[in-house]
Amino acid sequence: MLKSLTDWIDDRTGYRSLLAWARDFPAPGGVGWRHALGPAFAIVFVLEAITGLLLMVAYSPSSSTAWGSVFHIEHALWMGWFIRGVHYFAGQAMVILIGLVLLQMVVTGAYRQPREFRWWLGLGLLFLTIALSRTGHLLPWDQEGYWSTKIETNIVAGIPVVGPYLQRLIVGGDDYGNATITRFHAAHVVVLPTLLGVCLAATIVLVRRRRTVTDEIARTEAFWPEQALKNLVVAVVVVVGSIIASLALGGAGLDAPADPSSGEFPARPDWYFIWLFHLLRTLPSDLRLVATLVVPGAIVSLLFLLPLLDRLLPKKLAHGLACAVVLAILGGVGYLTYGSLRADAADAHFREALAEADQTSDRATALAADLETGVPPEGSTYLLRQDPLWRGRGVLERKCLGCHVAEGKGKGEQTASDLAQFGSREWIGGLLENPSSKRYFGATAGAGGMAEWKRASKLKPEELSLVADFVATFAVVPDDVTPDDWLSTKEIADHPGLPLFQKECGTCHVVDGLSEGGTRDAPELFGWGSPRWISRMVRKPGAADRYGFLEPKHQMPAFPAEQLTRGDLDMVIRYLRGDYFKTAPAAKAH
Amino acid sequence: MSRRELLVRLVWGCRAVLGLVMLVPGMAFLLSPLKKSGRGTSFDALARMSELKVGEPRAFAVLKDLRDGWVKYPREPIGSVWLIRQPDGVDPPVVALTAECPHLGCAVNLAADGKSFLCPCHNSIFSLAGKPENTVSPRPMDPLDVQITSGPDPEIRVKFERFRPQADRRIPLA
Repeated sequence: MLKSLTDWIDDRTGYRSLLAWARDFPAPGGVGWRHALGPAFAIVFVLEAITGLLLMVAYSPSSSTAWGSVFHIEHALWMGWFIRGVHYFAGQAMVILIGLVLLQMVVTGAYRQPREFRWWLGLGLLFLTIALSRTGHLLPWDQEGYWSTKIETNIVAGIPVVGPYLQRLIVGGDDYGNATITRFHAAHVVVLPTLLGVCLAATIVLVRRRRTVTDEIARTEAFWPEQALKNLVVAVVVVVGSIIASLALGGAGLDAPADPSSGEFPARPDWYFIWLFHLLRTLPSDLRLVATLVVPGAIVSLLFLLPLLDRLLPKKLAHGLACAVVLAILGGVGYLTYGSLRADAADAHFREALAEADQTSDRATALAADLETGVPPEGSTYLLRQDPLWRGRGVLERKCLGCHVAEGKGKGEQTASDLAQFGSREWIGGLLENPSSKRYFGATAGAGGMAEWKRASKLKPEELSLVADFVATFAVVPDDVTPDDWLSTKEIADHPGLPLFQKECGTCHVVDGLSEGGTRDAPELFGWGSPRWISRMVRKPGAADRYGFLEPKHQMPAFPAEQLTRGDLDMVIRYLRGDYFKTAPAAKAH
Repeated sequence: MSRRELLVRLVWGCRAVLGLVMLVPGMAFLLSPLKKSGRGTSFDALARMSELKVGEPRAFAVLKDLRDGWVKYPREPIGSVWLIRQPDGVDPPVVALTAECPHLGCAVNLAADGKSFLCPCHNSIFSLAGKPENTVSPRPMDPLDVQITSGPDPEIRVKFERFRPQADRRIPLA
């Protein structure tokens, strides 16, 4: 039945003779593992095409959607992390495979005439594989891909005369963004694989042509099935290795979304470029062209010219020289790579930045995975920019911690209060207990009013606690509530701390309809710790209802909208108030 | 078994390994949309009684947090519902019909005279009670569950659901 069907198909198509042509040919030089690396490269390439096509079904190439779609692949789609992991690691293995093939060609002398074109095609395959790896690296639009692409294209820009134009063409303009992703995407999924396929096909044609025309090889054995098996075994080893790597490392990994405004991301190039990176950072800056252009240019030219060495020198000498050159290059690359890894391992700052990048990436993952947060419609960059824990803390560190501290840590000499938990019951309770602590007004010049009150106050501890309870209710006053509205709500009107507040605090602090102040200058307290109170404090610290009574040099500097956007101010306020998405791991990381 | 046969079998074995490694995860990946979305349905307030006049249908957008793949859109219109207030004493006092046509899912509009519903795509016509008035649609417009709160101006809450198009019965989509 099956036989008659295949007979019928063969009769109409002649596919059997095609198959026979494909496998029943003599393998020159005999069969052996030494011939399996190149074919395995081709098999792995086919697997890359399949996994790549699968990923393409779910990938969305734009700066706002790329990260989210890769996140979706990794965390929402069945086996997405596995497919992406195999695609990534098998891609790395392709670089190794083609590198080994070329090394083997040098050592055995197979790069020489009459096989020059096979050598050049092999080099082409190497560069195409690396280009595939580089373009693929950017596509997730995460920190790692973004920054390493930026570094690499800036290296291109360093080439004299044409560099800046080349860079603009690669990047698609001045800035890295949508145009960069669409270009890299087109290159990665169509242009480069097509070129690689053409080079592979040409190589296969050349291999078989040599095998049929030349009789320089004495021993020929059938390709099928022994060599076919060896090729497949190498491919299976590569794939199994990729699966093990995916399982061990949890897939290809996805960093936090790309953020051009983020501070120090510890970007490193992929392993096969680390040597160049290390050369670049060890050379003085006026010699940087050596690392970016001279050395790579010389190596590439030398490799291309290698088969022509035979024309200048005796055959044996040329081969020996070629081997020596390639070994020297490999030695140099190995030495520099080792040096780079050692330098990084010894660099505490680098390790710290790496740890911070990991935390950021965990936070992004938690936010994106949560049903309440998710990736915002504006795009993945805003995932962390709209997160009070990350953005608010960052802004606080940059803008506020020059004078203030948070949990005792600041960036300069402390001349203002500790902002950790500002507005909370705990903060105000602590202030009432000990206003001259450095956590409160102890470090603030000119703000001795509370300490003065404390010395004179005869409040018992339980009364003090009631006052703190009362003041803490200010922090939850909604923006559209007036003092009158608020005072007429039952819980406030009946609050046991209210009469004490009126008597103890009201003599200095004004609250409309509750206290007049007047004994001593003090800020108005209605809504203390609420978003609008903090907002006015930040925008107009010198206003009469804030700290306008202090000498100008002791006042907090104002942060108008030009210095601190509305959005950033909201982020800081929500961070201080603890108003953000909380997860167990992120809380630990914090 | 000859050595050659063994080798051929091993070749097919390797091919099977590579094929399975691609095929099984690949199929799972492509079949991911069949995963249960776990999207719960709930009653959402659409309007107040005072916004409706007896016998005059009005469309209201259903606003819900929408998760489109990886993106979360807060309070996005995910559908439209026709509310028709019934004369006093009739139970239920308000009928809710989803604006999604049971035929092929276009948005059903009110006809110009306000006396019937009309789907612009394939001209299915429905009475104000949602009954088909020609043979285009396989079933009446889909009624939705309604809750009406108490109070002087009650709130009309509707459980928005989608149903399988073209079926002659109402089959909720998971």
